[in-house]
Amino acid sequence: MANGWSIIISIIFVAAFSAVAWFASPKGENQTIWRSTLVLSAWSCWLMWAITFLAQWHPLIVPERTDLRSQYNGGPSPSGSRF
Amino acid sequence: MGKDTLFRSADMTLTQLYVANEIGREVVSALGELGSMQFRDLNPDTSAFQRTFTQEIRRLDNVERQLNYFRSQIEKNDIPMRSLYEFDNRMAAPSATEIDELADRSQGLEQRVQSLNESYETLKKRETELTEWRWVLREAGGFFDHARGQTEEIRQSIDSSDDAPLLRDVENANGSAEQGGHQQSFSVMNIGFVAGVIPRERMAAFERILWRTLRGNLYMNQSEIPDAIIDPEKNEEIHKNVFVIFAHGKEIIAKIRKISESLGADIYNVDENSELRRDQIHEVNSRLQDLSNVLGNTKRTLDAELTQIGRSLAAWMIVIKKEKSVYQTLNRFSYDPARKTLVAEAWCPTNSLGLIKSTLQDVNDRAGLTVPTIVNQIETSKTPPTYNKTNKFTLGFQTIIDAYGTAKYTEVNPGLPTIVTFPFLFAVMFGDFGHGFIMALAAAAMIYWEKPLARGKQDELFGMAFYGRYIMLMMGVFSMYTGLIYCDAFSKELSLFPSMWEWEYPADYKPGMKVEAKRVEGYTYPFGLDWRWHDTENDLLFSNSYKMKLSIIMGWAHMTYSLLWSYVNARHFKSPIDIFGNFIPGMIFFQSIFGYLVFCIIYKWSIDWYAINQPPPGLLNMLIYMFLKPGTVTEPLYSGQGTLQVILVLVALVQVPILLFLKPFYLRWEHNRARAKGYRGIGETTTVSAVDQADDEHEAGANGRPSFADSDFDGGAMITQDMNEGEHEEFEFSEVMIHQVIHTIEFCLNCVSHTASYLRLWALSLAHQQLSTVLWKMTLKNAFAFSGITGIIMIFIFFSVWFCLTIAVLVVMEGTSAMLHSLRLHWVEAMSKHFIGEGIPFEPFSFEAMLEDEMTELK
Repeated sequence: MANGWSIIISIIFVAAFSAVAWFASPKGENQTIWRSTLVLSAWSCWLMWAITFLAQWHPLIVPERTDLRSQYNGGPSPSGSRF
Repeated sequence: MGKDTLFRSADMTLTQLYVANEIGREVVSALGELGSMQFRDLNPDTSAFQRTFTQEIRRLDNVERQLNYFRSQIEKNDIPMRSLYEFDNRMAAPSATEIDELADRSQGLEQRVQSLNESYETLKKRETELTEWRWVLREAGGFFDHARGQTEEIRQSIDSSDDAPLLRDVENANGSAEQGGHQQSFSVMNIGFVAGVIPRERMAAFERILWRTLRGNLYMNQSEIPDAIIDPEKNEEIHKNVFVIFAHGKEIIAKIRKISESLGADIYNVDENSELRRDQIHEVNSRLQDLSNVLGNTKRTLDAELTQIGRSLAAWMIVIKKEKSVYQTLNRFSYDPARKTLVAEAWCPTNSLGLIKSTLQDVNDRAGLTVPTIVNQIETSKTPPTYNKTNKFTLGFQTIIDAYGTAKYTEVNPGLPTIVTFPFLFAVMFGDFGHGFIMALAAAAMIYWEKPLARGKQDELFGMAFYGRYIMLMMGVFSMYTGLIYCDAFSKELSLFPSMWEWEYPADYKPGMKVEAKRVEGYTYPFGLDWRWHDTENDLLFSNSYKMKLSIIMGWAHMTYSLLWSYVNARHFKSPIDIFGNFIPGMIFFQSIFGYLVFCIIYKWSIDWYAINQPPPGLLNMLIYMFLKPGTVTEPLYSGQGTLQVILVLVALVQVPILLFLKPFYLRWEHNRARAKGYRGIGETTTVSAVDQADDEHEAGANGRPSFADSDFDGGAMITQDMNEGEHEEFEFSEVMIHQVIHTIEFCLNCVSHTASYLRLWALSLAHQQLSTVLWKMTLKNAFAFSGITGIIMIFIFFSVWFCLTIAVLVVMEGTSAMLHSLRLHWVEAMSKHFIGEGIPFEPFSFEAMLEDEMTELK
């Protein structure tokens, strides 16, 4: 589902969003505010996503747990709390 | 002329207005409604008392005082007042006659209210006195009855030696009362008495003083009045005691009277004859009855009067305040007696000029004057004020910037990007979907009920939150986003997509054994952090490395972005030297060290180190050894790394002398070249002789406004008279050099320290996440251990505790802390890269702003 191409695709997507935001921003005295806010938000959110994605792309460590019940992995789970 | 945006402060024009004297008031009033002109004071040397309209202002001050008096009376009597908002706020400017009427009316009303008040107070005082007298009569009667039985005893004790216990308890005396019954009069025994009331807290002092001054030659009885007595002057309740003092000898009695009066006691006439006393009581009672009737009438009249006033008081206040500010503004104008016109100078946004002109035309037409009001634009070398037009959404963000400093006229306004970057950096630290949702919800509620909330009274804390409600909304929304990225909602995971990790159980699995996850081949978790990391043994190991790198990259992006604005500023102010001497070397320096670090972080992430069978290099050591041992790389990241790093370090080092010397030496060269050609700065004073200078000063002092003195009224006149106010600086090489040295050192060191400073993003987000995990574990998680009806109760109790603590600690406290850190990142780390500042804020003459400041108490 998600692999190395995701970054490129997402950049294209955010760039397209920015372009649309730039031209579709409502005209008038608040146009600059709309443009700046939409474009900057899009790229900030993208940056955050991209960093998180890249950090997990080739992870160096794997999750470890010692408190798992044997039923957890698909087995029948006993009734009661699961938290 | 472009339109005014938040990107830069608006273009300003200095205008000169020539207003016919007759309509000065109307013109200023119309401009006050418009609220887009900042009038300069044209009579700075004139004191407040010597100005033209001092008389009018004094009169209005008096009316304002009267209105304030009405308000205090209305508040004192708890009479409802019609709120400010029930009136149309944009009331048309009242005519001069209306103002006169209002002044007369309030004068009359004041007298009426005052006389009513006075008589009410007198009556009230009378009533208090009568009540006190009644108490004295009633209590003293008891004393007399007791005392009469003991005349002999009293006599003895008064006659006997000074150590006799005269000041005995009433109780003591009670024991031997009733036994006598001989109707021996006090006057026969030459015993006089004083009766009265005194505040209870002074009783002890009163007793002591009497005892000491009279050396015990007295007999005193006292009792407490059970009901509090109301002091009519202060409207306070006071507890008082009745006392009766017996002593013999006229002098001693006179002395007692004096002492009593000086201690604030009220002495009342009581007859010793019980019959007469009864009559007195009757009389007092009937007088009290009459008095309370009159009092009731007076009070009703007063209340009716005040209710009538309260209905329109807020509107009168607005009218008077507006009128007063109009005259205060008129006082800033200068008067041209020859043409009978008022002359004003004002800054206004260039784009509002049209509106101003049409407004003035309207006023003229209404007044039916043939002489038009003239608006001239004047060229000036003065620095125009900085004016960023805001709306209710951008106001909060602009306030953040203005709290740090006013931007230079037309420099890039950091307020625009702050709309996003401030709440976003906040959200990086506050990232939790649940907490963000609560914050967004609170902000949305404040925005939805904006009007009623704005009109209500707000305490300080709520007022602050309400002022920043749009900031809070953005912070909440972005926190929800970063919460999704961090995969945290109230510290629990959000499993939006299938995980990229599968638990791999060993064949002989028993609970308690360590289980490692195995990656699903070729699949990366598509959005945010994988939820399988939650509650693992090594989640901190992973998330710390991730969040630390996130902070560095975020900081790098934010600083690079901010640094780019300095290029835009240099272009705008047409100073290429700032591009070549500051922006380019600075940018190269920053990118060759920290840009390279960011590149390495991303490069390292994009390589599958296990697939290519190489150990992943530590980036921290790489950066350190890049400077300590240039050229040697112990754990290679890519081939040719050593050479590239040497080049980068050299490039960075070369920028330092460029930063240091290019700009100052260029400026000196430019200055010398201009000098060589014989130019000099406007207003630069070159004193040829002392006489010349004195002459200059004389001329400036004589008319103060040379541009008028020559009656040269064409719009192109250059105003240069205030040049020596320090707006022009003479070139001095040493100063420029010192300035540049400081700038260079600061910039280079700050590149390092500011990048490190962004690590607070990691630290705070770690703290926030850990705190919410701990809160969950300490409260709500425990509730799930119970079952049955106890379980239900426990869940209810623990949920309330958990929820309240979540709001108080995690949303309010942590939110405040994250907000302050975000504030710092903007003020220090980002704004230091491009902000010039030193601007003058634009403070237009506006009724709206003035009323907002002054009428808060009328809400």
